[in-house]
Amino acid sequence: MVRAKLSLWAAAASPHCARWWGFVCLWRSPIAIACALLAMVFRLAPSVQAAVVGSLQGRPDDIALVLAAVLLLAALRWTSVAPAPVLAGRAAALPQLGPIQALLDTHLELDNEIDKKLQEVVVDTESSAIAIIGQVRQLHDSSNTLAQYLDKTNPQANTLGEDIVASMTYLVQIGAFIEELPAKLTRDLNAVQGVVQELTELSSLVGSVRAISMQSHLLSINAAIEGSRAGPGGAAFRVVAEEMRLLASNSSNVALKIGKGLERARAVVEAGMATRVAESSKAQSDVSQAVVSIRKLQENFEDMSQYFKTRFAVITQHNQNLTADIAAVLGHIQYQDVVKQCIDRMRNTTSQRNALLEEALAQMKQDGSEAAQLPQLLAQILANFVEEEQKHKHSARHDEQASGELKFELF
Amino acid sequence: MAKTIMIVDDSSTMLMSLRNSLEIAGYNVLSANDGQPALDQLKAGAKPDLIITDINMPNMGGIEFIGKARAVTGFRFTPILVLTTESQQAKRDDAKKLGATGWLVKPVSGADLTKIIKQVLPGA
Repeated sequence: MVRAKLSLWAAAASPHCARWWGFVCLWRSPIAIACALLAMVFRLAPSVQAAVVGSLQGRPDDIALVLAAVLLLAALRWTSVAPAPVLAGRAAALPQLGPIQALLDTHLELDNEIDKKLQEVVVDTESSAIAIIGQVRQLHDSSNTLAQYLDKTNPQANTLGEDIVASMTYLVQIGAFIEELPAKLTRDLNAVQGVVQELTELSSLVGSVRAISMQSHLLSINAAIEGSRAGPGGAAFRVVAEEMRLLASNSSNVALKIGKGLERARAVVEAGMATRVAESSKAQSDVSQAVVSIRKLQENFEDMSQYFKTRFAVITQHNQNLTADIAAVLGHIQYQDVVKQCIDRMRNTTSQRNALLEEALAQMKQDGSEAAQLPQLLAQILANFVEEEQKHKHSARHDEQASGELKFELF
Repeated sequence: MAKTIMIVDDSSTMLMSLRNSLEIAGYNVLSANDGQPALDQLKAGAKPDLIITDINMPNMGGIEFIGKARAVTGFRFTPILVLTTESQQAKRDDAKKLGATGWLVKPVSGADLTKIIKQVLPGA
């Protein structure tokens, strides 16, 4: 197909060639082919024309050539001036240079528009890539700020936790103290009961003292009577007896007062003890409640502390993942440059191809035979493009392992 | 102290991508959009610890830049990585002959780039 097109282009390179080519192809007569070839030689070679003219002017020994030339000139005139109706119709179906030039112009115009659009696409994608990089960087900065905030918060939280742990130690100590209170209260009550018992025993001793005082009083009365019976010699004895009576009376009064005091003290202690016993039941209940509350508070704090540590670890991990993802995004964005370079190479190849076509067309206007090299030249451009792309073949692959291509080589 | 890395590429996308990747990784970054301005910076006193350069640039390509950078005082042993879309062996050999330290094919993620930099610049 290409050869056929090129043959037509070659024929179209010269109107005369086209005519003779059409003459040969359409008539398909040996005579016509011979005449056509001779006419082409005559037409294209000025030396042949000169020989014919020279022969006419005085060289009759070359009559055959002259006749042939005349016939060919006649044929040439006939084909160029008055082609047969059928031949003219068939020649009109042949490709002409004008339509090919128009086709090439349209093709170049289309390529030019596509090239402009590709340039716009490259510029647009570059702008978008730069904008994405800027936004990704802002995202990273925000993430970094959050991480720094957490870094600062962490020691503060640790300090707070240590304070709370210390407070919890105190609370636990207080709880233990409160927990011991009922036992202490029981011990105190037992001690108070011991005091009451002692007071009771002291009260019994007061009775004994009063009995002794009474006996002393009776003894002093008897001594006074016996002193009176003794007359003047018993005066000193009476004095002693009177003193004993007073002593016994005073002892009795003191014992009585002590007894009353002990009784009041025992009554006060017993009343206080009764009150403490009544209150101790409620105190024990309150203490139990306080201990439960303290333990619950401790558990809540430990839960809260663990929750915070977990959350902090999770947030830190998310931040690290975000940073890694951002780094990956920044890497993927580089594909914009890879694609840009690929587009540049394609534009360059298209430009080479178009230059070649323009050059070929220009050559066709002068000499159709040169166009025969066009397929080889286009094939060379194609080969160059394929070879160049092969050099970049693996660069655009996302999966390095799948490509098996080494992305980094240390020399 | 953070290391300084110079990136040389005519693509704004590449420059922005690499700059942000490297800054996020904690490096200081110098940049140039062609071999000649990069060379001018080196001659003017810039002291990058590592240079990453593209190959195909409009005025001075990466291969030529590497050769000229090696001639600048103080950059004879500075690691220079080539970052390009090309993977042909001939160009690799040219780059190696002129003193390139390694060859890296675009695109490259920030994580991969950081690994490679740590490989080339121990302690970075």
